[in-house]
Amino acid sequence: MTGYIIRRMLQFIPVVIAATLIVYAMVFLMPGDPIRALSGDRPMSPQVLETLREQYNLNDPFLVQYAKYMWGVFTAGDFGTTFQGRPVLDIIQQGLPITVTLALVALSFQIVIGVIAGVLAAVYKDSFLDRMVQVSLVIVVAVPTLAIGFLLQLTFGLNLEWFPIAGTREGLVSYVLPGITLGAVSTGIVARMLRSELVEALQSDYVRTATAKGMRRSRVVVRHGLRNSLIPVVTFLGADLATMLGGTVVVETIFNLTGLGGQIFRSIQAQENTVVVGIVTLFVLFYVVLNLVVDLLYAAIDPRIRYD
Amino acid sequence: MTTHKPQGSARRRSAVAMTAAAALVLAACGNGDDGNGDGGNGTADNGGAEAAGGGTVSAYNCEPQNLMPSNSTEVCGSWVLEQLFTGLTQVDYETYEAVPGVATDWESNEDQTEWTFTLGEDWTFHNGDPIDANTFVETFNWVVDPDNAQQNTSFYDVIVGYEDVVNGDAEELAGVTATDDYTLEFELNEPFSPLPMMLSYTGFYPMPAEAFEDPESFEQAPVGNGRYQMDGEWEHDVQIAVDRYEDWPGEDPGVPERIEWQIYNDIETAYLDVQAGTLDIMDSVPPNRLSTMEADFGDNQTMFDTSSFTYMGLPLYQEEFQDKDVRHALSMAIDRQLIIDNIFDGAQVPAGNIIPPMLPSAREDACDYCDFDPEAAAELYEEADGPSELTIYFNSGAGHEDWVEAVSNQWQEHLGIENISFESLEFAQYLDLHDNQEVTGPFRLGWVLSYPSPQYAMEPIYTTGKSSNYADFSNEEFDNLIAEANAADPEEADSIYQEAEDILLEEMPVIPMFFQSQGVVHSDRIQHDSVQMDPRTFLRVEQLVVNEE
Repeated sequence: MTGYIIRRMLQFIPVVIAATLIVYAMVFLMPGDPIRALSGDRPMSPQVLETLREQYNLNDPFLVQYAKYMWGVFTAGDFGTTFQGRPVLDIIQQGLPITVTLALVALSFQIVIGVIAGVLAAVYKDSFLDRMVQVSLVIVVAVPTLAIGFLLQLTFGLNLEWFPIAGTREGLVSYVLPGITLGAVSTGIVARMLRSELVEALQSDYVRTATAKGMRRSRVVVRHGLRNSLIPVVTFLGADLATMLGGTVVVETIFNLTGLGGQIFRSIQAQENTVVVGIVTLFVLFYVVLNLVVDLLYAAIDPRIRYD
Repeated sequence: MTTHKPQGSARRRSAVAMTAAAALVLAACGNGDDGNGDGGNGTADNGGAEAAGGGTVSAYNCEPQNLMPSNSTEVCGSWVLEQLFTGLTQVDYETYEAVPGVATDWESNEDQTEWTFTLGEDWTFHNGDPIDANTFVETFNWVVDPDNAQQNTSFYDVIVGYEDVVNGDAEELAGVTATDDYTLEFELNEPFSPLPMMLSYTGFYPMPAEAFEDPESFEQAPVGNGRYQMDGEWEHDVQIAVDRYEDWPGEDPGVPERIEWQIYNDIETAYLDVQAGTLDIMDSVPPNRLSTMEADFGDNQTMFDTSSFTYMGLPLYQEEFQDKDVRHALSMAIDRQLIIDNIFDGAQVPAGNIIPPMLPSAREDACDYCDFDPEAAAELYEEADGPSELTIYFNSGAGHEDWVEAVSNQWQEHLGIENISFESLEFAQYLDLHDNQEVTGPFRLGWVLSYPSPQYAMEPIYTTGKSSNYADFSNEEFDNLIAEANAADPEEADSIYQEAEDILLEEMPVIPMFFQSQGVVHSDRIQHDSVQMDPRTFLRVEQLVVNEE
C-alpha cells in the first residue's frame, strides 16, 4: 500500500513539469503584447514599455523565460508577480481558501441532496415520487449554471433576503447560494447515476438473500444495495471536483467571490503568465492528488480491490 | 483663501473661479438641509455642520490595476487616488477651470513657457511629513526616471529636460525647480497654456519619500495628502476603505466621514446589491439594465453625460481612405440616434464634435458631415468611388459587437457596400495591428479626458506623429493651430481650438460616433441631489450626502 502511494506520487513530477510547460507555452503564444495592453487607449512612452518588458523577461525567447520562471520557483520559492507587482503567492493565499470552501460546500450539497434523491427514487421506483425526482433533476441539469445563479440571487438574495447576494462578508452563509449553483448540475447527475445503480443492485441475488434473511428494508438498502452502488458515484465525484474548478470561474464571478477561478480568468485575459501557471499548476496537482485519493477510496468501499 | 498677487498679463483664473464657487456655496448653505446640493464641482465648501459626521458611503468599484498615482491610468484606481491625494491644482467642474490644490496661485510668462506656482504652507502627508516645493521636484524626478517605469511618464514630455532623463542622459528634470520652499517653477519645451489644468491629473500628485523606497508596499496603503486617508490596507478584490483626513487644509473637505469601495468582478452583481441596499451607490449600471433602471430605482437613479468618446477611426495610410469624400460619406450614412435608441437604451449621445459637449469650448453644430443623410452619402460615395468591400476592426469582449454590426448594416444598406467583414481581436493584439499599421478598414477606439481641456481632446490623437494618432492623420495647419492655441491667452485659446476642431471635422480622420452617458443608481441612504459625476466618468464620491437614519 505505501509502496503504491509512493509510486503514484513519483508520477506527479513529470505531470507538473509537463503541465507548467504547456500552460506557459499557451499563454506565451497568445498574440499581442500584454504590457502594451496595460495602458489602454493611451500608449505609454517607449522607454517605459521597454523597462517593463525587461522587468518581466518578456524580451527573452520562450524557453529562457520558462527556465527563468522555474529557476525562481525552485531556488527561491519565487512564483513571480503580476504586471502590477503583486506576488502570485499572495493571490493564491487569498484565493485558495475561498475556492476550497466553495468547492466543499458544493460537494456536500451534491452528496447530501444527490444521494438522498437517488436512494428515494430507486427505492420507490416508478412511483410519483420517483417521477418527481427525475423531472426536477432533468430541469436542474438542463438549465445553465449562469441562469441558476441569477435565479437564486434574485429569489433568495434580493426578494426573500435569506442569503447575501454576493461577497463573502457573512462567512459560511455567503457560500450557500454559490455552492448550490456550482453543485447543481452534478447533483442531478449523482442522483440519476445512483438511482440506476441502486435499482439494479436491489434486484440482485444478494439483496434478495439479505431480504429473505429477514433483514430490515432500510438496512438492506444501505448496507447491501447502496454500498455496492457507490463506486461509480465516487469515481464521478472525484472527477467532478476537478471539473468544478472550471465552474468556479463562472460562479465566483457572478457571486463576486475572490477565489482562484475568477482570478485565473482575469489573468488569462491580461496574459499574466506567472499567475496563470501558478494557479493551473495548483489545479493540476490537486487533480492528481484527488485521483489518488479516489483510487484509495475504492479499496475502502470494496474490499475486493487491493493495492500492493 | 489666500490673497492673489497683482499680475500683469499673468493668469489668475483661479481667483475668479474660487470666488464664483464660494458664492454658489454660500447660496446653497442658505437653503438649510440642501447641504452641498449645488456643489457639483470640486470646490464646494460644506461648512461646519457636515464637516463633522457625514456617515459612511459604500461605493461600487472595480479592482484597480494599481494605487500608484504615477502609474495609474485607469478609472478604478485613479478615482480612489483622487481622494487620497491632492495635486498642485484641482479642476472646478462647474467652470472647467483649474483651481487651487496644494498650489494657491500661479502665473506664467508672456508666451506660456515659464510657470511659477506658489504653494500653500500648511500641507502635509497623512503621516505628518510636510509638503513643500521640493516634494514635487523629487516626485517628478522619480516618476520620469526610466528605471521606475511609471506609465504616466509621457504626460511630462512638455517639461524641459524630459527627453534627457528618459534617455538616461540626465538624472533630473532640468525644467522643474524649487526656487524656495514654497515656490515651484516649470520651464516648458513649448508654450503650453493648459499646464495648470494638466497638473490636476493623477500622474502629478506629490508622493512621500517612502513611496520611492518601496513602491510595491507603498501602494498597498498609499500615504497621500488628500481629503481621505487609507484605513488599513488595500484588500485586493475585496475593498478599499478610507477615512476623512480631518487636517486636510483645502477649501472643500469631503462630506462622508468614511468611504468604502467594494470591489466587484461583475457589475450585474453590484447592481443587485444596490437594489438590496447592501451597497450604497454604483456608477456604471450594466448596459442591459439601463432600460429597467427607472423601474428598479425610481428617483434613485440618474444618467450623466461624460467625455468618454467613441469613434470610428480610418486608417489614412490605406489608399482607399485617403479621399475625404469617402470619409464624409461613411459618416453621413450612419444614423447614430437609431443605434443609440436600439442598442444602447439611450445611454450615449450622438457625437457631432471632437471636443466633448460639456466643455465650454464645445459647439453644437460644428460638424457638417455628422448628421444622417443617406441620399447625400450614397451619392458622394458613388462619386468618390469608395471601396466595395470593408473590414471593420474592434476589440473583443468589450461590448462593441452589436453597435459595430449595426454600423455595418447601415453602410451596406445606404452605401451599397456589398461585403463587410469583422476583425474582432483581444486588446493587446488589436494594438499590435495598429502599431504595425496593418489595419485595413474602419476601426473602433475611444478617448476619455484625463483633464478637461480641449487641448487634451485633440492634441494626443490627431497631431502628427503622436502615439495615440492611430489614424495616422497629419495636417500642418491643424498642428500649427494646436500649437498656437497652446501658446495663446486662455481667453483667446478656445476659439483657436475650435478652428483646429473644424479642420478635424472637415478632414474627418475619425468618424465621431458617440459620447457615453453613464447610469448611476443608489440606495435610499444617499441624498439624490448630492450625486454628481464629472466628465472623466469619476463619481464625485466625496460630495455624497448620507441621509440621517
